Amino acid sequence: MSAPGVDGADPPASSPWQRMARIGVPSPGSLLNSGAALLASVAVIALLFLALGADPFTAFNAIYTGAFGNDFIFGQTVMITALLTLTGLAAAIPFSASLWNVGGEGQLYFGAFASTAVALTVSPSLSPWLLASLCLLAGGLGGALWGFIPGILRALWDVNEVIVSLMLTFIAILISDYAITVLWPQGASRGTEDIPVAAQLPTIWSGTPVTAGVLVAVVAVIVAWVVMARTRLGFEIRASGLSPGAAKMNGVRVPRAMASSFALGGLFGGLAGAVAILGINHSLISGFSSNYGFLGVAVALVARLKPLWMIPSALIFATFQVGSSGLQVQTGISPTIGQSIGAIFIILLLGFHVIRMRYTEQAG
Amino acid sequence: MSTPVAIFAVGVGLMAPILWATLGELVMEKAGVLNIGIEGVMLLAAFAAATGYKVTGSLAVGIAFAVGAGIACGIVLCILYVRLGTDQVVTGIMFNVFAFGLTATLYEQYLGTNVATTLPDVKIPLLGDLPALGDILFNQNLLIYAAFLAGPAVWFLLRKTWYGLHLQSVGESPQAAEAAGLDVWRTRYPAVMIGSVLTALGGATLVASTSGGFVINITNGRGFIALAVVVLIQWRPLYAVFGALLFGVAQSMQFQAQSIAFLDSIPSDFILMLPYVVTIVAVILVRGSRYPAACGVPYKRHA
Repeated sequence: MSAPGVDGADPPASSPWQRMARIGVPSPGSLLNSGAALLASVAVIALLFLALGADPFTAFNAIYTGAFGNDFIFGQTVMITALLTLTGLAAAIPFSASLWNVGGEGQLYFGAFASTAVALTVSPSLSPWLLASLCLLAGGLGGALWGFIPGILRALWDVNEVIVSLMLTFIAILISDYAITVLWPQGASRGTEDIPVAAQLPTIWSGTPVTAGVLVAVVAVIVAWVVMARTRLGFEIRASGLSPGAAKMNGVRVPRAMASSFALGGLFGGLAGAVAILGINHSLISGFSSNYGFLGVAVALVARLKPLWMIPSALIFATFQVGSSGLQVQTGISPTIGQSIGAIFIILLLGFHVIRMRYTEQAG
Repeated sequence: MSTPVAIFAVGVGLMAPILWATLGELVMEKAGVLNIGIEGVMLLAAFAAATGYKVTGSLAVGIAFAVGAGIACGIVLCILYVRLGTDQVVTGIMFNVFAFGLTATLYEQYLGTNVATTLPDVKIPLLGDLPALGDILFNQNLLIYAAFLAGPAVWFLLRKTWYGLHLQSVGESPQAAEAAGLDVWRTRYPAVMIGSVLTALGGATLVASTSGGFVINITNGRGFIALAVVVLIQWRPLYAVFGALLFGVAQSMQFQAQSIAFLDSIPSDFILMLPYVVTIVAVILVRGSRYPAACGVPYKRHA
């Protein structure tokens, strides 16, 4: 453990992730940079399509129609936007405390497992509202637990939260796998039994896959905004992210803020898993997440950690994700490429310094 | 082979990919670059190895393809981490997502089910006949022997060469190194390239020694485990083999579970969790470790 600093100065950071500070203020030249980054993204992605043997114009068009072509398809995009909004919040809140939650994927899986477990074990004769709410609650709490573990280890013992949250991701995936193959198998399929109808979130736009899961995401954004901007906890999280030493001198309970930020982030990650089960798939399916938890990191950065910006940011990545399923029909390219497209986009935004990080001063 | 010997013999085989990746990560971190994209580098290299084999029918060519993939990843990572100075955690995570999407897509489109072949085991004369140890250490394939030698090679590079000293100085105090006349970026570039190629050899080992073919997400967290091993061994290359072996053995338990009484009753999914749980316990034990001081912070030139 590093010794406490003199005069309330921050103790020297002992690991690279601790020096990681926060997203900086955009510079005046950022509009130019944003334009350049967008052009570069289009160019790189076009080259990628060419390399995969598809005409870029056809491919871009396929992505657009694949995401917005008709009401049903647009409904799918809306649902994935809801998931990515939630995983974006999962990354953004610990990030505000200068902590790396890169385990959103694990929180999503464990939340999905928890809500499936409740849906399949609690009596289906409960009123639909009650059962669905219980399942959502279970998902959120499951995710919060999965986030709390790396958070509390980091807060109390200075354990590297990046590695712990990544490892918990693999453990959560194996727990889901156990649920699928042993606890509630459904024949030879790669998923569990279907959850009872009473546990499913109701459709709110008929003729499309849009369910009340969207409302969960919207409420989550509002709650996250209120907590971060208007409550003491939110203030403590942001203060300990800016400068743990100064925060502590001013009476902020830094370890508590760190652990809470991770648990709160995990809560949203778990809700994403719950929405995927209760509002989209209706069973826990092996590999149901197309790296939504990891893409949440990208969503959070593009939104500059602001809860209210999470929805438009999530829409961008959902477009890549859902749009790519249109690629298969028109160009034969597998939809998994959507994940690469999202990744290229965010890496170029970073490369052109559209998203900047600031670091705390190095010790020594 | 008795069960304990089998656990270790298989464990050494499973250790090799993690050992390569650990050494690759270690070189980069010593130079001040944190490569969380390690998983993606392994994945792309594993894919390249399987493709090289499928196209030419030669594992040697497959391994050469993997090295090529390592060089390509190295160039991209040099540009991002060093030249452009992007944030290393986010860039690394997104590089992994990129690699996952790309390899999954190419797998569906071009590779498909690929033939399972592994390098033949080469028995070392005399030593290979030792009881127990012979099977564990001296009856393995060339990539595994090479991994054993790579640890001392990295130690020599870091401790006994001028470049190694320069590399460590830009990882500890880039400002001081620059004041002393070193070009921080140009000193970091070769470290990222070497690290990336070593990591890529880990991906090649996964295909050519461990599994005998490529499947989607074949790495399954091994790169991330290597990140933890680097901390566990406290950046000492000669200890890498022990750190990696711990995880190799934890993984090999799954294949021997039927013959060990107390493991027999545990569901296989829980035995598969063992390496990840061991990793968490390990990072708790070495908590608060001192990283190379400049690790993870992009360097902006002052000149």
